[in-house]
Amino acid sequence: MKRLRSAPLALAAALGAIVVILFAAGAPPLEAMRVIFEGAFGTTDRLGATLMAWTPLVLAAAGLLITFQAGLWNIGVEGQIAMGAIGAAWMARSVEGPSLVVVPLTLIGGAVFGAAWALIPAWLRTRFRVHEIFSGVALSFVAAAIAVYLIIGPWSRTGVASTSGTDIFDPRAWLPTIGSWRASPVGIGAAVAAVAAVLVLLRGSRFGLRIRAVGRNAESAHLLGIPTQRYLVAAFAMCGALAGIAGTVQATGFHHKLVPSISGGYGFLGVLVVLLAGFRALWIAPIALFFAAIQVGSTQLSLRLGIDSSLAGVIQGALVLVVLIVGGFQVYSAARGPVVTGEGEA
Amino acid sequence: MGRQGRWLKRFALLAAVSLVVAACGDDDGEAPEDFKFGMILVGPQNDQGWSQAHYEAGLYVVEQLGLPADAMIVLDKVNTADRPETSIESVVDEMVAGGAQMIFATSDDMKDGIEAAAAQHPDIPMIWSSGDSAWADGKGYRADLTNLGNIMGRMEYAKMIAGCAAALTSQTGKLAYLGPLINDETRRLVNSAFLGARYCWENYREQDPSTLGFEVKWIGFWFNIPGFTLDPTQVTNEFLASGADVVISGIDTTEAIVRVGQAFAADEAVWAIPYDFRGACAAAPAACLGVPYFNWGPSYVDAMQSVIDDEFEATWLWLGPDWDDINNPDTSAVGWVSGEGLSAEASASLDDFIAGLGSGDIELYRGPLNWQDGSVFLTDGEEATDFQIWYAEQLLEGIVGASAAE
Amino acid sequence: MSLVLRNIHKHYGSVRANDGVDLEIAPGELHGLLGENGAGKSTLMKVVSGFIAADSGSIEFDGAPLGVASPRVALEHGIGMLHQDPLVFRPFSVLDNFLLGSAGGVLVDRKGGRSSLAEMAARYGFDFDPDADARSLTVGERQQLEITRLLWRGARVLILDEPTTGISEPQRVKLFAVLRQLAAERLIVIFVSHKLEEVEALCHRVTVMSRGRVVGRRELPTPRHDLVRLMFGDITLGGARPEVTLGDPALSLRGVAARTRGAPLHADLTVRRGEVLGLAGLEGSGQRTFLRLCAGLDPVGSGTIVIGGHDLAGKPYRRFLDAGVHYIPAGRLEEGLIAGLSVAEHFELVGPNRSFMVDRGAADTLAAERIAEFSIKGEAATTAEALSGGNQQRLLMAMAPDHPVLLLMEHPTRGLDLGSAQWVWDRMLRSRAGGTAIVFASSDLEELQRYSDRIAVFYEGRIIAVIPASTATSSSLGLLIGGVVS
Repeated sequence: MKRLRSAPLALAAALGAIVVILFAAGAPPLEAMRVIFEGAFGTTDRLGATLMAWTPLVLAAAGLLITFQAGLWNIGVEGQIAMGAIGAAWMARSVEGPSLVVVPLTLIGGAVFGAAWALIPAWLRTRFRVHEIFSGVALSFVAAAIAVYLIIGPWSRTGVASTSGTDIFDPRAWLPTIGSWRASPVGIGAAVAAVAAVLVLLRGSRFGLRIRAVGRNAESAHLLGIPTQRYLVAAFAMCGALAGIAGTVQATGFHHKLVPSISGGYGFLGVLVVLLAGFRALWIAPIALFFAAIQVGSTQLSLRLGIDSSLAGVIQGALVLVVLIVGGFQVYSAARGPVVTGEGEA
Repeated sequence: MGRQGRWLKRFALLAAVSLVVAACGDDDGEAPEDFKFGMILVGPQNDQGWSQAHYEAGLYVVEQLGLPADAMIVLDKVNTADRPETSIESVVDEMVAGGAQMIFATSDDMKDGIEAAAAQHPDIPMIWSSGDSAWADGKGYRADLTNLGNIMGRMEYAKMIAGCAAALTSQTGKLAYLGPLINDETRRLVNSAFLGARYCWENYREQDPSTLGFEVKWIGFWFNIPGFTLDPTQVTNEFLASGADVVISGIDTTEAIVRVGQAFAADEAVWAIPYDFRGACAAAPAACLGVPYFNWGPSYVDAMQSVIDDEFEATWLWLGPDWDDINNPDTSAVGWVSGEGLSAEASASLDDFIAGLGSGDIELYRGPLNWQDGSVFLTDGEEATDFQIWYAEQLLEGIVGASAAE
Repeated sequence: MSLVLRNIHKHYGSVRANDGVDLEIAPGELHGLLGENGAGKSTLMKVVSGFIAADSGSIEFDGAPLGVASPRVALEHGIGMLHQDPLVFRPFSVLDNFLLGSAGGVLVDRKGGRSSLAEMAARYGFDFDPDADARSLTVGERQQLEITRLLWRGARVLILDEPTTGISEPQRVKLFAVLRQLAAERLIVIFVSHKLEEVEALCHRVTVMSRGRVVGRRELPTPRHDLVRLMFGDITLGGARPEVTLGDPALSLRGVAARTRGAPLHADLTVRRGEVLGLAGLEGSGQRTFLRLCAGLDPVGSGTIVIGGHDLAGKPYRRFLDAGVHYIPAGRLEEGLIAGLSVAEHFELVGPNRSFMVDRGAADTLAAERIAEFSIKGEAATTAEALSGGNQQRLLMAMAPDHPVLLLMEHPTRGLDLGSAQWVWDRMLRSRAGGTAIVFASSDLEELQRYSDRIAVFYEGRIIAVIPASTATSSSLGLLIGGVVS
């Protein structure tokens, strides 16, 4: 395992790619990088905005780490985030009461909805051998469609049918914040706790050991007497619950309403974060911070340097590409490593 | 119904009031060298539609007030799909931090965000275009937000003209309206286009008004967001397939004119009327009957001048065309440019129609008019108030399509 | 135009896949390459066709040495290999697949290619629709297309690796006819297989490989038991076994059939505690199915499997484990161990401890004890894939319960050096002395004869004979494995 070395390598390659793109776009690269950095960390408010993006990203990535370790490509995490947001929105819209009551209910509602949605690909996979990538993509579409339906239909504003969102939730259902800071300490705390819990679970617990065994070789794990399907289902449910909390943070901590694109693409970005982190829990937080900073900071490129806003999209696309290339290189070099698997080869 | 000059009167009143109110700050009235303003666009700044119209108004303001070239801090595509990590509040924070002394939030979609931002920055004057938060008689009045004003053009007139042009041209008698989302504003504009079309169908084409088909389909948002809205190109295809031969666009972007232009180039007798942006016909000039557009520039200049003069008041402005020349870039808040697709004969009728609107001879929001469900909107001879028009409860009788969420 | 291989060596870690192989084939010859799985046939053919490079040795074709290891270069020299399931670029048409990799620049001569395809197809009696989607082809048709392509590209040596797997009987007949035609056209055809009948039916000469070496060459026809003996080795030592008193029945099978195969494996078979049953037969004759049925890993179609007094047929795998059944598969790293997990983690997975958190200290202590007891060359933190084959087998055995009722092993010593193999059997015989019943499959007649009490011989999915090992000889077993029941 050479992940420790390759994660910084990938980050360096990503930075290099950004410089090249900025240069090609005629932007002064160093100045632009400084603008991005300051845009992400320059003031406490910006740090808050960055952490606001970091929170759902880390939650999704922490959940994905579990499913990845179980050998699952839980691409449906986007839909699980959306369903979590729907669950949280349902709580926020239907329960009235003080924050101390409503906020925990939204978090629980989000986790339950996310987990329940994740059980569908789990069921399809263990029961009908439908690969979770296919079911996940489909279910993400369904979840988005349900969100749109709710926003235009039953939960629409009076006299309005717009996908711009539901009514703003009662402020008592919002994730509590401190002062003018937009990032909620509850959300950040949930993200940190999620990483810690996943770390302990996967590295230290018998459950995590079995998840890893199932993920690395389900056939051997079965032979050793591990009920593999139960562990696959559990991994899906845990990831779904964390994704659901990510959706809750998006709905009650950021938008304060349900919007169609509630998942914000953090599920897909989370997949990249986990791949880049080399499936190590500890690397999730810093790598997610990097991505969140690029995302939030690049807004400044338009605002301050007047650079076409599509450049931010180009940068993010290039990041994805770089991650994939570096990841592919890892696989390539790992395959050439001193691993003896030639046994029994004819 | 508002007449030419009513908004000028409003402005005169505003100016008088602001003279009294003017208090602190330098009152020299000159644009300071470092004056900056923020412009928040919901779509791309080059969308050939709604967002570009605002962007160009911003450029117009810079030019008119002699501001430095970097005075406008612009951020486009501010919506949850394109910028999931960005909220209106944080964009306003950033613009203010970047030196903006005034903010334009240019979409109905930004209501929640700009109201929150206005509360957080009470010293920064802001304009929420198309909104009603500063209308004392309106439903969404926010008396507490004294720094948030509204500006909207009386697009009803231009939409009536668009409807008329469609009715004058249609061979099948089936008109289609590509609607964005459903709210008061969009219902109001559909109703206006329908009224214009029905009038011209009856009076110029001399047809039975009941034979005019008018269908609206809503895509769900101001522009296409794949996966979250209907695809406007697809909806346009459905319109054409169902026999409609003029598609009137009510969305921010140009899919209808582009798609219809392709069909037109393939020798189909179909036309389109885009929306929002004066140059929108450019996508397919030959198939274009004309475009009803917003001209935000003059009103934005006035608003900003009042800020510079330290006389800003949070007012709700609903500005009509300058009937002397509805296409005067310095005076008319809305306009209509005819396209190549409009025949000379139709053009003559249309000019007559426009003159009638301007003179007040043609008053389309006059009873009897029924809502879509058959209930009475206006009794015989009754003229609608601004409130009744703005808060259009339903589509009108005779329009096919949803009045509200189904 | 002969193909000559000299002293080919290819090692994977400690495994000698090819250990000094010599081979010479004349033009016009249909040459069979026979051997059990793991004998080194595929490795050798990949070396010849340029897919992998040999560690040492030389290849000459038509008097010219072949140097660079690349399939493209090999094909330029006239050597083409047809894989078991030929790669076809599925979204493309048949014609495009035919033209793939053809000589020339960027531009492809599609028109010329079309007529070439038609001409070649007519010559060998194939029938292609050039514009059909390659996705619609069966394995057999893909094979035909690939053969046509290789011949069109100028192949003079055609290597076929287990070509009859997954194709229909008419396609097999067609394939054999074409191969004979090619041999008549003075091409070299190398037919790699572990199926005796096919080699006998098709080839002029045969080379038999075992454990990475050539163990014999024969002109065909030759008696089948002769080939079996080459593949399975001779019995040289013969039988001194410790006397063990047999206990109660550990395993009783009655009319058991797998769900995937109709006919029962055998009518009636009982293995008693302390007994060793060897399973003999050509690869794929049903031994693996038998072991997996007894282990509760494959679904049972019919019959009863009584273990420890209870019929477990159709019961979940967990019940078999609880009844004291333990199965160690041949694919140690593929289906027994978990690559990426350490030795200590393997013990934790099967350990009795059930607390939520893993006690690392205790786990390492336990691992150290077991490593010492089973003489595993590795540490608690060593990952499974970093162990040598022998140590992987030791780890697998160390993970077994101390006294299983029934120990099922598939090729327990395949790929192991002599020392490790000896150790494995010492260990197994100790279990047996403790009352464990052992059932093992092997391709080594000597191993079967030496350690078994009885030998069950499989042929075409069924047990055709169960004989006492003491009376078994190389020739009697060879005949049975070849399907000849006296």
